[in-house]
Amino acid sequence: MFPIVSTTLFMPLLGALLVMGFRKAPAKLVHTIGIFTSGFTLIGAIIMWSRGINSTGFAQLEQLEWMPAIGAAYRVGVDGISLPLVLLSALLFFVTFIYSAKVRERPHAYVVLMLLLETAAIGTFTALDAILFYVFFEVSLVSMYFMIADWGHEDRQRAALMFFIYTLLGSLPLLLAILGMYLGSDPHTFDMRVWIENPPLTGTAAMLALIAMLFTFAVKTPVFPFHTWLPAAHVQAPAAGSVILAGVMLKFGTYGLIRFSLQMLPEAFREVGVVVLVFGIISALYGAFAALAQNDLKRLVAYTSVNHMGYIVIGVAIAALAIDPAIRATALDGSVLQMISHGLVTGALFFLVGMLQDRAKTREMDQFGGLLKLTPIFGWSFVLAAFASLGLPGLAHFPAEFQIFLATLQVEPFAIIVILGIVVTAGLYLKAISQIFLGEANTKWQGMPDLTMRELITLTPLLALIIIIGIAPAWVLDVIHKTTLNLHL
Amino acid sequence: MEKDLAFLMPEIAVLLTAVAALIAEMLRKPRIAFAASVAGLLIATGLTIPLLHVDVTVFSGTFRVDILSVWAKLILLPATVLAVLLVRAELGGSAREGTAYVLVLMVTLASLLMAGVGDTMLLILAVLLSGLGSFALVAYPRDDAATEAAMKFFVFASVTGGVMIFGLSYWFGITGSTLLNETTRLGNMPVVASIGLFAVIIGLGYKASLVPFHFWAPDAYEGAPVSIAAYLSVVPKIGAIFALAQVVRDLPSELNWSLVIALLAVLTMTYGYLAALVQNNVVRLLAYSSIAQAGYFLLGIVAIGASALAFQSIVVFAAAYAAMNLGAFALVMQNGRTLDAFTGKGRSHPVTSVAMVIFLLSLAGIPPLAGFVGKFLLFGASIDAGFTWLAIIAILNSVLSLAVYLRIIVAMYKKADTTETAETITIPLLSSLVWFIAAAFTLGIGLAAQLILKAFF
Repeated sequence: MFPIVSTTLFMPLLGALLVMGFRKAPAKLVHTIGIFTSGFTLIGAIIMWSRGINSTGFAQLEQLEWMPAIGAAYRVGVDGISLPLVLLSALLFFVTFIYSAKVRERPHAYVVLMLLLETAAIGTFTALDAILFYVFFEVSLVSMYFMIADWGHEDRQRAALMFFIYTLLGSLPLLLAILGMYLGSDPHTFDMRVWIENPPLTGTAAMLALIAMLFTFAVKTPVFPFHTWLPAAHVQAPAAGSVILAGVMLKFGTYGLIRFSLQMLPEAFREVGVVVLVFGIISALYGAFAALAQNDLKRLVAYTSVNHMGYIVIGVAIAALAIDPAIRATALDGSVLQMISHGLVTGALFFLVGMLQDRAKTREMDQFGGLLKLTPIFGWSFVLAAFASLGLPGLAHFPAEFQIFLATLQVEPFAIIVILGIVVTAGLYLKAISQIFLGEANTKWQGMPDLTMRELITLTPLLALIIIIGIAPAWVLDVIHKTTLNLHL
Repeated sequence: MEKDLAFLMPEIAVLLTAVAALIAEMLRKPRIAFAASVAGLLIATGLTIPLLHVDVTVFSGTFRVDILSVWAKLILLPATVLAVLLVRAELGGSAREGTAYVLVLMVTLASLLMAGVGDTMLLILAVLLSGLGSFALVAYPRDDAATEAAMKFFVFASVTGGVMIFGLSYWFGITGSTLLNETTRLGNMPVVASIGLFAVIIGLGYKASLVPFHFWAPDAYEGAPVSIAAYLSVVPKIGAIFALAQVVRDLPSELNWSLVIALLAVLTMTYGYLAALVQNNVVRLLAYSSIAQAGYFLLGIVAIGASALAFQSIVVFAAAYAAMNLGAFALVMQNGRTLDAFTGKGRSHPVTSVAMVIFLLSLAGIPPLAGFVGKFLLFGASIDAGFTWLAIIAILNSVLSLAVYLRIIVAMYKKADTTETAETITIPLLSSLVWFIAAAFTLGIGLAAQLILKAFF
């Protein structure tokens, strides 16, 4: 069997080495290499998708000895939770490369870092060895730091530093937890499959490990009150960086929440499930209300991320609390699908904000007006993405959030107050749309060009998938459901 | 006796190399001294390979040829080769160039003796030999700063050395033997034995620059040539750490030595990074950083006897530390000693800057670099030995360390204030070779850690 997972995983790294080899190559060639490499990676991810998954455990396993003396090995594979995320990452990186083909400031370094980031992202989702997971998890951090620090906006150095220190501080407790699980397993191993099969820790040790992990993933997701790095990083990051940060990297947090906290420490998670649930609720509501108060469009989108990621946390907490496996599966289906939807919708929104900023050099919403008439394609694209973001039925977020709320009602009915968040997001997006796109056209923006061909190519796959998943989510949900139904927690 | 000598082939090779280099220097042929040093060290490394799975003591137990001392040779001998290349790059052509090689070789020999020490008398001898060579190396430039640094170093070493000899006499008094493996009997008189323990910690703590015996280190590194600072921060320090491991492995637990070492680790890591945080001179910054790194080594020492990971973690981290620290110092040699010298280098010198980022991130323990693998094993060892709180403090210090190393990285990728005049780019061949090899190891040790780990099973 051809090792398609490893090929997909290391394809971007190969491309990065290629770019490093051609240090004198013109910017155009460098970007072409980037686009082609990520295109091949996307094809690899599609082949992985076509090969499918098993109903229990992991599929498409590939292993290699690494440090057998301490039970660490190179192990990769996918299940219904990670496979959709791999596909999402590959797609987002591919369109990001198309969008960034205009970058002329140190294009070599830019493409190398982005490709490195792609390997780190796919590696995080496919790793089945805890050390390997941690390695990819941290490599992504370094690449993103340079991404923000080198190609960001005015105050980028500070934001990049804050991002780096915050998330590194956040990820170190995970290291402790991993060490604890390793020492608790018998025989000692870093094999995540073994940890999921036989949770190595119990009692107080399990609770301590869980608290450490929850801290890590709460920073990464981010969950209120650990979210403060997020708006700063997003505002300063270049548009492509924001897309990857929100679309792919935030998912590390929620993916880890399911893979590590829920699957490896189910007993402990059940005990603190309500606490996690409350954090999720606060996060979702806080994100919505904070977004409402923004005038900067990018900050607004950043805060809605906090809101949407909050729903995922709620879904996972409900899955931990649920006793009926069917309800648990519903909650997890919703959570995983929400990750995909959020990647597509927020990715599209950050691209659109970037396109607006490229044209107008400002993101203050009150500076605009009547853009729908001047730039109709841009305007309608934004309206579509914004409606998806507020959870309109028929668009990508609806089937995901619906399942989360359905499971919530059955397990912890009080938590349904979070539905208020949807009302608030609806309000804030309508306000944004009316300020930017409706009303009197501001003469200042007369002659603003509509979307270029490259921008259209960037957006089309995302917008199309938003509609497809909204109307017919079954092709993704079936894959997710196959795994979530058979989790023995 | 002949059989014992066969086990000492690498040490003998280093000694003969030193003699050869000395003769070459007396004939005023520094080039030959340099070539002989490199060749001799490589031969000594080769001679170590057959000893890989040996575990014996020689000369009636005074010297141990075991996993620690063999790996000390495999790490320190190549590290000395790199240091010799740096010395050549920096001091080549100066008046007494050859003496530097001789002294470096003698200090390396002393460090190897420390790493395999099995007897208190040998320990004292090795510490003194290493000290004498080091003072002369620091004073090499003969200017005010170097002389003052060497003087401070000398006074500090004399006092701590004296204390160590005094304290060890208590152990001799109790056990009636100078052999370290007799120290298992110290449990009968824990109070008196503790005096000896403190003395050893002071003596080796100064050598390994553990807080609070570290005061000499930043001044000595700053006063000395950069290549010498690089050497002193790696070879004698690792030797002293290994010596400490050899001393404590036989100590009875009644002495509570692991708790004492754990407290020293906390003090060393925390103080080292806090002090590094306010330095503007990169050599001083790296000096304090290497003090803090010594604290991480102690996490492995604490676990000796309680965790199977202890020795492996120390060895893996030693290999990682040697590679990344030498690499960082090599780049300081190329770029300059102040933080300002690094400003804007990210754009003007992209390749060396990437290498520097690799070294600094590895020092901070970011995966998948060598420093991460080493620290990861150290954390594991100390948790396994029941010192979870120590691992947590170490992890918190890793965050602090990031702030330290990021100061250099941020400066490198900042826009330079002045528009740089087109300077003629000359690539210093020797020091570039050093950082290149060091970078290869820093990147590769993570993948190759198995080679080291396998030797333990």
